[in-house]
Amino acid sequence: MSGFLLTAAETETPVAAAGATDMLLVTLLVALPLAGFALTALLGRRLYTKAWVIAVPVMIVTWLIGLYVIAQALGGAYGEEGLHFTLYRWIPAGDFTVDAGFLVDGLTAALLIVVTTVGMLVHVYSIGYMAHEPGRWRFFAYLNLFMFSMLLLVLADNFLVLFAAWELVGLCSYLLIGYWYKRRSAALAAKKAFIVNRVGDVGFGLGIMAIWTTVGTLNFHEVFEALPEAGLEPWMITGIALLLFAGAVGKSAQFPLHVWLPDAMEGPTPVSALIHAATMVNAGVYLVARTSPIFAQSPFAMLVVASIGIFTAILAASIAMTQTDIKRVLAYSTLSQLGYMFAALGVGAYFAAIFHLMTHGFFKGLLFLGSGSVIHAVHEEQDMNRMGGLWRKIPITHITMLIGSIAISGIPFFAGFFSKDEILGESFKLGFGWVWFIGVVVAVMTAFYMFRLMGKTFYGPSHVDPHVADKIHESPPTMTIPLILLAIPSMFLGVAIGWPPEGGLIHQWLGPVFHEAEELLGHELEPYAIFGIDGFLLGASVAVAIVGMVMAWRYFGFRVPLLGAEVQPRARRVEVLTERFRGWYDASFHKWWFDDLNHLLFVRIGGAVAAALWWFDVNIVDGAVNGVARLTQGTGREIRQIQTGRVQNYALGIAIGLLVVAVSYLVVTPR
Amino acid sequence: MTNLPILTLITFVPLAGALLIAFLPRGRPDLARWAALITSLVSFVLSLLLLPAFEVGAPGFQFKEQADWIPAFGIQYKLGIDGISLALVVLTTTLSWISILASFGPIKDRVKEYMISFLILEVGMIGVFVALDTFLFYIFFEIVLVPMYLIIGIWGGANRIYATLKFVLYTLIGSLLMLVAILATAFSFQALNGGNWAGAFDYEQLRGFGFDPGFQAFAFLAFALAFAIKVPMFPFHTWLPDAHVEAPTAGSVILAGVLLKLGGYGFIRYAVPLFPDAAVTFAPAIIVLSLIAIIYGAIVALVQPDLKKLVAYSSVSHMGFVTLGIFVFQQQGLEGAVLQMVNHGVITGALFLCVGVIYERTHDRTIARMGGLAAPVPVYAALLGFFMLASLGLPGLSGFVGEFLVVLGTFDVMPGAAFVAMLVVVLSAAYLMWMFQRVVFGELSDFLRGIGHHLTDVTPVELLTLTPLVALTLLLGVFPGLILELLHGPVNDVIAAVSGGTVIAR
Repeated sequence: MSGFLLTAAETETPVAAAGATDMLLVTLLVALPLAGFALTALLGRRLYTKAWVIAVPVMIVTWLIGLYVIAQALGGAYGEEGLHFTLYRWIPAGDFTVDAGFLVDGLTAALLIVVTTVGMLVHVYSIGYMAHEPGRWRFFAYLNLFMFSMLLLVLADNFLVLFAAWELVGLCSYLLIGYWYKRRSAALAAKKAFIVNRVGDVGFGLGIMAIWTTVGTLNFHEVFEALPEAGLEPWMITGIALLLFAGAVGKSAQFPLHVWLPDAMEGPTPVSALIHAATMVNAGVYLVARTSPIFAQSPFAMLVVASIGIFTAILAASIAMTQTDIKRVLAYSTLSQLGYMFAALGVGAYFAAIFHLMTHGFFKGLLFLGSGSVIHAVHEEQDMNRMGGLWRKIPITHITMLIGSIAISGIPFFAGFFSKDEILGESFKLGFGWVWFIGVVVAVMTAFYMFRLMGKTFYGPSHVDPHVADKIHESPPTMTIPLILLAIPSMFLGVAIGWPPEGGLIHQWLGPVFHEAEELLGHELEPYAIFGIDGFLLGASVAVAIVGMVMAWRYFGFRVPLLGAEVQPRARRVEVLTERFRGWYDASFHKWWFDDLNHLLFVRIGGAVAAALWWFDVNIVDGAVNGVARLTQGTGREIRQIQTGRVQNYALGIAIGLLVVAVSYLVVTPR
Repeated sequence: MTNLPILTLITFVPLAGALLIAFLPRGRPDLARWAALITSLVSFVLSLLLLPAFEVGAPGFQFKEQADWIPAFGIQYKLGIDGISLALVVLTTTLSWISILASFGPIKDRVKEYMISFLILEVGMIGVFVALDTFLFYIFFEIVLVPMYLIIGIWGGANRIYATLKFVLYTLIGSLLMLVAILATAFSFQALNGGNWAGAFDYEQLRGFGFDPGFQAFAFLAFALAFAIKVPMFPFHTWLPDAHVEAPTAGSVILAGVLLKLGGYGFIRYAVPLFPDAAVTFAPAIIVLSLIAIIYGAIVALVQPDLKKLVAYSSVSHMGFVTLGIFVFQQQGLEGAVLQMVNHGVITGALFLCVGVIYERTHDRTIARMGGLAAPVPVYAALLGFFMLASLGLPGLSGFVGEFLVVLGTFDVMPGAAFVAMLVVVLSAAYLMWMFQRVVFGELSDFLRGIGHHLTDVTPVELLTLTPLVALTLLLGVFPGLILELLHGPVNDVIAAVSGGTVIAR
């Protein structure tokens, strides 16, 4: 089995100025969480109450290593191409070979910042949040397994390792959504998430095969180099791009595969924060960004990406406006924000997309962890109609969530403001006025549903169960400290890496990665003009955010009588508003009936088809087999009559036989 | 390499064990059990010795043994292996000792006869993979039937007679036609060789001989029917769910793990290289049938009420990948097909063991009566979950690479067919996860509650049977090269044969 194991030194791609230490550390990034998973899973119950004792330290060390690798990559130590090395040859099948290889460049580093930091904070938070769960070793084992898979996903240097990690994060999502497996709803949600994701993976898998059959390699750099020179028909490039995008649609829960993410909220809240807001659901955005040189060759594919993205953004935002489960509001919000990112990728605003991915990772992680703290405080209640007036009782949670809400609503100068504004502004300037317009409408809705959420939860009158109301208390430090630590980037990350606009650090980091795609697109951006078009766009963004906020405040915030006018009681006003938009309200509340449609198509009709096929199998296919058997048996019974035992009859038989043989001989050999 | 006839040893050590057991006292079932286990372990260890000695990449067959058997007709006792047979031999010897160990508890009646049957079964299975003489191959191919007939018919479930008769008659019809084709091939060879019988049954002589196209069509169809029933391909698959449901656990393991592979191996070793022109002619039809099997098996698996039937129909689906990969005549497809055979043997064998574990405790396999197993039997739930994930093709576990290579190879030749095959990615997740949800998740069902304290987690022996399969599933998922490196040479020979390029007889 010679040549089976490759050492790093034997790889074909030269390693840019980086030593073996860096390779070892990058390898440890994935190896440590995997070892943490294995140990936690094997020890299991024997860890007693200290189920986190392996998983959390492992994650902290991983985070520290991550910081070093990020600093190296963004500091330019790995060069423009990034650090690239191979562990061993995973699949050697003739001229189809896949290496287990890693690539660390600016894009990887940008993702690593979010993945390792939010990952580490969620691990710490879970110590407190899961403290009363009996089987929590399982939880921490799965969390480590997830970190392994997610890090492998962003570090992979080729399509198939990425795909493998892609499936593994899906598995972890399945395991963690179904963590409370006794609950039927959780078990169903877990299964749904996995299966819906696999619908997208059909496309992703075929896309990978299409790439290999056309250029004969799956390594990112080699593919991007070879594809423009392969002389493909435009429809083939479009086909490859759209097949890959199908995978992204599944993983990042874009329309029409968005149905799994809201249900995924059945999982414990730290999971919702980590997997279903900050990291895994970004994988689709990452995939499209990573393969930007492919998408950039197909204007049609870009258009599809932009359309699906902005449509999901407004669809999800419309649903978020009426949901009453605090986590579901945040889930639809996540869909909507991911839609923004795809819209950005579709119009060619790559930097803005990844920028928003990063800021969103932090403030949405914060919002989810905050909602977990709220849910904890009101004794596992998730319905916002049974909350209210909590701001005094859980002040740290309140303040940090307020920061998150401001950040997502796009109020200056919090993180979301910069990234969202860059998406909207570039869409407009690149000639996608309709994307900009829908995006602005979504921005109003975002501010509205976020402050509706804040109002119903923290302000407004209390609807908390009286038995619970007295016992509400702030969460332990293991939970509040991560909230505070996430609030910091939610405030400052935007200005730190996004200022000045279109020229911030993020542009330096990602410049080499998106260079090829930008060149293919040939985008020429006007210089940023604060007193020109950009100033107008920025003003519009801010204005709509404030409009949304004020609207929500009027219905759900503290009561502030305006100009002394008589105001109706709050509940009455909401009722009137609901009545006026009854049809829209119902559509939003029932999530535009997508779940019902899917149930009809796949459970009812699909189930009937499967049952019919089984009937066919038993009665027709097997029926034919048994029919032949019965026929033979029957014939046998008839033929048995011949066995009379009388010599005369046998003699007759022999005579006839001889005659047949003789005639056949004459017929067959006429020569 | 020494002159030790190692292939003969691996093949016939179980026969020696069977003879030994025949002389053991009837009142000591434990002796019969241990003798069988030790015998199968000896064969297993011997087969492992092949691995370091095997020369990867060397052309042709290795460890060859050759002796005249019926010289008048050129029939020989001729053995030898290449990479494909090596992988399948080791799979067989591994699953054999695991199955025998798994029978320790469940089989309580006629233990002696059971173990003898099982060891003879092993002789036949290994023989098929090492034979290089068509007549010898046929003998081994048929030997397998008898013990399996007994295992299902004597130690099987309520409807065992119906199932075992169906199994035997069905496969017998196919293999008798194959016998006719084997004899016809020999006649044809002999006639064209000026009446000289030498080599008329010799696989290496026959391969690349270049039979007349009309004859090829007849012979190919006869071989193909035998193998298609064995695989089983749609629409010849209906014996399989019945046989599985009635077979004892170990019988199901061997049936799914090895017997189905006799069909796949037959295609790749005999039907295609001996009659390449006919294989090319009939390939489109076989590809279509494979696609039907892949999708149809998965859809029908969705609605199975019985755990074993569900796994049986999933086998129809998974084995569809094997025939698909073979008949696209493309390197990745063929290598994937062989890898898929090994993986399917390991994973589905393990799934049947898992079903057996729960059957031992509940005497039931109805999915609707299960539920909530995760809480009372967590280790079992984890193992079932592991093999469920392997079966649905999770990357990192062995099922993924084989299926991916098959679909990749198909995509290279006909993208439309690859699209159809790829749909199984969704369907397999659906039927397996739905099963898992109903069996393992949720509250403990009333039926299982009624089992009470008999519902125990896996015993050490059961763990001993499943752990090696867990290890293999992980190992082959992370290092599929261990198998794939063995396959390049033989697979290229097959491709060369069908592309009509070089004559490959050696």
